[in-house]
Amino acid sequence: MTYRTQFDTELDNLKLNLIKMSDLVIKNIHDALYSFLDLNTELAEKIIKEDKKVNDFEIAIEKECMRIILREQPVARDLRLITSVLKMITDLERIGDHAVDISKLTIFMEKTASTFKVEQTRLMIETSEEMIRLALDSFVNKDIDTARKCIDKDDIVDDYFDEIKEIVAEALKDHTIEVDYAIYLMMLAKYLERIGDNAVNLAQWVIFSITGEHK
Amino acid sequence: MENINTNTKNVFKIKNLNLSYGSKSALQNISMDIPKNQITALIGPSGCGKSTLLRTLNRMNDLIDNCKIKGDIRYEDNDIFEKDYDVIGLRTNVGMVFQKPNPFPMSIFDNIAYGPRCQGIKNKKTLQEIVEKSLKNAALYDEVKDRLRDSAKELSGGQQQRLCIARAIAMEPDVILMDEPTSALDPIATAKIEDLILELKEKYTIVIVTHNMQQAARISDNTAFLLMGDLIEYDKTDIIFSQPSKEKTEEYITGRFG
Repeated sequence: MTYRTQFDTELDNLKLNLIKMSDLVIKNIHDALYSFLDLNTELAEKIIKEDKKVNDFEIAIEKECMRIILREQPVARDLRLITSVLKMITDLERIGDHAVDISKLTIFMEKTASTFKVEQTRLMIETSEEMIRLALDSFVNKDIDTARKCIDKDDIVDDYFDEIKEIVAEALKDHTIEVDYAIYLMMLAKYLERIGDNAVNLAQWVIFSITGEHK
Repeated sequence: MENINTNTKNVFKIKNLNLSYGSKSALQNISMDIPKNQITALIGPSGCGKSTLLRTLNRMNDLIDNCKIKGDIRYEDNDIFEKDYDVIGLRTNVGMVFQKPNPFPMSIFDNIAYGPRCQGIKNKKTLQEIVEKSLKNAALYDEVKDRLRDSAKELSGGQQQRLCIARAIAMEPDVILMDEPTSALDPIATAKIEDLILELKEKYTIVIVTHNMQQAARISDNTAFLLMGDLIEYDKTDIIFSQPSKEKTEEYITGRFG
């Protein structure tokens, strides 16, 4: 039997808003990455505008967490959940910022469009996106194993980053890549590598909300 | 579970304590240690046995006719249930403050001097020193120093409770037991008592029964959760309120207890 139906409803709404924010962030990052690969500046500009919604979500969820702390004085698993949500929205907002950063690259890059393709970029995009999804699945299902899967995948993203770095360095030596494009490609890879780190943070806060342990 | 402070000296060691009132069992198989110079909170729903456990520590339950106790409580390594145990001495060392402030119907001064006088202290100067020191330690002296001869009943509820704490301190105890000491007080008086309790732990060991979980979280070092006479969980307060290991504790402290 539960005696805090109002409180439980508030917590459910909080979780729902976090999921909505995550969905928006995943959509933005996905679009941003393909705006880069397809040189779609129109899409890039749309993503930059969409980022305001992400920021609004962050502020609204933050306010809601503060209100719940003030009014309900949560402890134990409730306190851990709210602490985790407060930390997770910061990482989600940063991922959102990276979507903007990548979109800005797309816009700058238009002039130096290159036909140079690196397969690892696409793989890195897919893996980073999957990491965010795994982190969120683990949050929704309170599943530590899924959260750990997310964390383990970070090594794959890091390996792709190193591979891209080597490929670009090689191409620069051979003069098969424009210098500007090489810089943009490396910046993209770095943003993706950072997104992987943000996803790891998300997963670690999910584990904290379940177990109380945080690394 | 019973020993949560391996590096600290334990004032009380409770082992397999069972207590019943007639045929009704009130405590079952309680084992826990109370560490010195720390604040230990006992929490749990009404009737869970927390006040009974508190009162057992200075044998206040002796006063109840049909109370039967089995098991072992050691205070400073001595069995308090031993046949010739000095109960008066125990109650001198282990003072008590109750839920409702209960000043004696006499002056502020005489309230504090009552215990020392009973112990045979007659010297006026010594008594004055004890009264002043006790009131200072209970953070009440400045508020009452000019009216020590006035009746204690004229003090506010919060002041009366601090007077009761001063009265307990006057006996120079080692341990102070507090049974919901702020439940009859307003938030400002409560905050003053809580500050006082935190100061007192430097000199005394404090065991406090409270219904106010935020209070337990704010002031105690260790928290024990009791339910229907069982000790469900006993741990560092920070752990109890952030990651309790028992589902029943989690349900109770998060208010989902049914």
